[in-house]
Amino acid sequence: MDGGGFFERNCSVLRARSPSLVERIAAEPVTSGYEVGRAGSGDPLLAVHGQALHNTVDPRADGARWARTALDRLEAADAERAIVVGLGLGYHVEALADRFPGAIEIVEPDLRLWRVALESRDLEKVLARVVSSDASEPPSTATPSSSLRTRVLPHQPSLLRTDGIHRRVYEETLARASSSGLQLRFLVVPPMAGGSLPIAGYAARALRRLGHEVRLLDLADFRESLRLLERFGAKPATRARLEGALCAVLGQGIAAAAEAFAPDVVLALAQAPLDAAALEAIGRTGALRALWFVEDFRRFTYWREVAAHYDHVFTIQTEQCFEAISSASAVRLSYLPCAFDPAVHRPLELSPAERSAYGSDVSFVGAGYHNRRRALLRFLDQDFRIWGSEWEGASRLERVVQRSSARISTEESVQIFNATAVNLNLHSSTYHDDVDPNGDFVNPRTFELAGCGAFQLVDRRRLLPELLRPGEEVIVADSAAEMRELAVHFLARPAEREAIARNARERALAEHTYEHRMQALVAALVAHAPDRVYERRRPPTFGDLAKSESGPLAALLRRFPADAPFALDPIVERIMRRDGRVDEEEAIFLFLHQFQELYLGEART
Amino acid sequence: MRVERILIVNLTRLGDLLQTSPTVAGLRAAHPDATITLVAEKNFAEVCESIPGVDEVYVLDLDRVGRLLLDGGERLHEAFVHVREVVHDLRARRFDLALNFSSSRMSAVFLGLLGVPDVRGWSMTPDGFRTILHPWAKLFAASCLNRRFASFNLVDCYRGVAGCLSHPTRSLLYRVGDEARSAITDRLRAAMPTADRPLVSLQLGASQPIRRWPSESFAALARTLVADGFDVALVGGPGERDLAESVRQASGGAAARIVDLSGRTSLAELAALLERSALLVTGDTGPMHLAAAVSTPIVGLFFGPALPFDTGPYGEDHVLAHARVACAPCEHSVRCLDPFCRGTIRPELIAAVVRARLAGDWDAIADAARGVAPVRLYRSGFDAHGLFECRPIGAVPPAHEDVVREAYRALWLTLLEGTPPPSLQGPEVDLAPFRALAALARAGGELSQRLERATRVEASSLDVVEEIGREIEALDRAIAEHGSVHPDVTLLTQMFAFEKESLPGAALDVLASETARLYRGLRQSTELIQAMLGRREVPEEWFDASLHQ
Repeated sequence: MDGGGFFERNCSVLRARSPSLVERIAAEPVTSGYEVGRAGSGDPLLAVHGQALHNTVDPRADGARWARTALDRLEAADAERAIVVGLGLGYHVEALADRFPGAIEIVEPDLRLWRVALESRDLEKVLARVVSSDASEPPSTATPSSSLRTRVLPHQPSLLRTDGIHRRVYEETLARASSSGLQLRFLVVPPMAGGSLPIAGYAARALRRLGHEVRLLDLADFRESLRLLERFGAKPATRARLEGALCAVLGQGIAAAAEAFAPDVVLALAQAPLDAAALEAIGRTGALRALWFVEDFRRFTYWREVAAHYDHVFTIQTEQCFEAISSASAVRLSYLPCAFDPAVHRPLELSPAERSAYGSDVSFVGAGYHNRRRALLRFLDQDFRIWGSEWEGASRLERVVQRSSARISTEESVQIFNATAVNLNLHSSTYHDDVDPNGDFVNPRTFELAGCGAFQLVDRRRLLPELLRPGEEVIVADSAAEMRELAVHFLARPAEREAIARNARERALAEHTYEHRMQALVAALVAHAPDRVYERRRPPTFGDLAKSESGPLAALLRRFPADAPFALDPIVERIMRRDGRVDEEEAIFLFLHQFQELYLGEART
Repeated sequence: MRVERILIVNLTRLGDLLQTSPTVAGLRAAHPDATITLVAEKNFAEVCESIPGVDEVYVLDLDRVGRLLLDGGERLHEAFVHVREVVHDLRARRFDLALNFSSSRMSAVFLGLLGVPDVRGWSMTPDGFRTILHPWAKLFAASCLNRRFASFNLVDCYRGVAGCLSHPTRSLLYRVGDEARSAITDRLRAAMPTADRPLVSLQLGASQPIRRWPSESFAALARTLVADGFDVALVGGPGERDLAESVRQASGGAAARIVDLSGRTSLAELAALLERSALLVTGDTGPMHLAAAVSTPIVGLFFGPALPFDTGPYGEDHVLAHARVACAPCEHSVRCLDPFCRGTIRPELIAAVVRARLAGDWDAIADAARGVAPVRLYRSGFDAHGLFECRPIGAVPPAHEDVVREAYRALWLTLLEGTPPPSLQGPEVDLAPFRALAALARAGGELSQRLERATRVEASSLDVVEEIGREIEALDRAIAEHGSVHPDVTLLTQMFAFEKESLPGAALDVLASETARLYRGLRQSTELIQAMLGRREVPEEWFDASLHQ
């Protein structure tokens, strides 16, 4: 294979830029399945497990074609750096290196392929020009040069490999690029009421923390309009039509908001009043339409009418849910479990008075669904409290239902979680008497309890183990009876409870915040529609620039919060607020501000 | 002080840059060895290369700054770095004198950044406030806010700021290149093989629709001119080609004698074309000033916000038609929904004026001016002091507005240049607002004297000084309000406001005596114009130019 001694020469060039990569490649054994043959043009041709990675007639010409298309995309984006995922035998990278003046990085996760490629062709010139990686080291998008305007370009034949590794690396690379440099504008649309209303707020806050520009539409007041429809005394069928008409108006309002705000993404939460017409109107603004369907697809089926009008639907369930939605539409689907907001659900130091007000050995917070009314009866002999609404008529539980079934605020629920020794978390069901034997998704309460560092007993859910480890981070029960047994068991073991709760919190902080979810959501959106959303980058912060600057400008920049986005308005506000001499740096910002006022007023709005 | 390096900043458009040219000539004559640098915006910098006397054109790429600002983030940082480079670059030239002819806060900050010892025009105080330096610059700024009484041409304001009003330049200046001349000759020959008729150019467009004469009027004018034996060239920028096409189409059989060069000439070629033209009919546009700079007679159409007095073509014997409707001139910022003023200037009138002007028949122009109210015709020229003026054509009795404008012109010339006040003609003007303003100024004088005394007496408590300060603030508010209520005195109160704004942040006693000087100045200006309007002799001892420096 290495008739020309390519390997050594290629390695010596590569070693100069990526010594550890050369070590890893050299350590990789030669294996079968990587066949180098000859294309019609006489150039080397690589097939992996029978799948050719280049055009079999003329791989050079094919590489040039790929590079031309890539160059169009790079130029359209005014890109300063290209990250190519998939090396093959490098024909496409060579062609790109000839044409593109900016930085090029090549990410090839397959070390065996690296070896074969280095053995098969003279790649010295291109290796000297590009940065090479096998995706095992911190990506360049995490380095200071990450501010370069970047495009991630897939080498499609590599991505089509059956092992799927290149596809995953491609999506991860996009995700890294998205979290390090992408700033999108989001319009977050909550429902008027219901369980996903607070989730919209948490999601919006997380997106903001990630540096995106976010507008959260507040539709809560419209709930009153819906209620006022009662005044007409319409028959149920007519009432439903009236509600539909009101939702249609709201949908058009949301579309109008999208038109005015010009978001890159409209992120709707489950039950958001968006019908097909509104979604189509939003689509015409160019925004990506995403739905986070944080509901049980079996119980709430309105997705049948709207899913097809979204670009991407995120669900808290997987297989059966994907199957059902896919049978109704070709919308892209991704699994995106619930999460918690560490600023809200956190451990609290409670006063004795608060402990007495909110604490008990065992408690449950949630609405009085059918299965809960049955299952929770088993705890009546314990120091047990039930908090939450919709428990009316549960006469046997009346003694333990707090505040006559009044709604509990989020902050109070945090106090309850913190004050309770054993928190029960029983997923709701309208048709089981006990634990749902086929329950799959994991409710927000699971993560919120973990975030509070509270000990929880949760019913078995198929998707739980990959999120929190049963026995180590949560205790899982298959039935109400087992739940009671475990409650009694752990009530007697406070140290074990504490250890498990601590584990849960650590895991939740590391993996299950809304920021993690929104990062994943952005990455999925970017991976599937890079051309539409890849342009905006997160602006540098005052801290970023203070590090790269020196002298008086650095001193000026350091007067602002290091994590605040670098922008003109806060600087000018600060200058205006204070008396005294204006120095050169401040005056230049004043000049730019006046320029903006004079020439860009309309352009900015 | 010897002036070796002069900076002129003009970040405005084509016309304004051309209007800078007499100032450059005056500065060049006054400082023959000095280096003159003209800072201009990239889109309009080309014209600067052809202004005689400019040693260096320093181009600012404001479009780039705009793009960077719109992008924000890192690009904002890039914009910062770019501006810092420009500032350092210019500062390194160590200018002795800087004239800022751009009336914007942006340019004020820019001048503040350059650290030039003698800045005139808009600038920035060390603590970041706008200040307008030099009486002529203040007068120009105040006149922009009170345009009915704006009595000086912009060119003379520039020259006043530069201190070269005595220089004899009586025209804008632009060097036409030979290459452009021959290109235009070829172009016209190709378009009109029998080009032996006089060529009248029509500038169709303008920067805003309100400044554009209707295309039907231009078409009717073109038809008449062709019928009268002229060839017609349509000129304008690339954005005006559709307009030109519609004028050509509406010109019927005359179209054969109409050559459409709109959007088809470079700036140099446009200058050559205008030079080659016997006359240009135009609104208040950049090409109007270009024609003035190549000494081509102009028939100027002034309506909407345009006034012939302050932006008319600088030169002699241009004819300027002004639609003097009740609402003229409108504010630059308004969007008129009924621009009827444009239609009051009839194409028949303009055709008659063009014919008469080309024949040099001023009596015929005066005849044409009869019965065309609300339109008034003016002849451009220069007064005894060499300053641009618009003289009414025909026997038109001066109106209130004309008398007050004339009085202000005389006032400023007396105060700023020391020329004796003329006698005024025209209707009586109500002097009560002037008397009341003079009383307010007297009160200010007394207050500031108290302040001066208080700052001199060590025993005065801070409370006393602060109390007087509050009274002065209240009085200044009353002066500003008086100006708002009585338009005839607004120019005085506005000038006073600019003077106050420019007070140095100095020690209290200096501030007190400077404040006293400003009130004395306001009183003197007010009593002087009051005397002129009241047809009274003005005692000579009233002239104290130091009060207005």
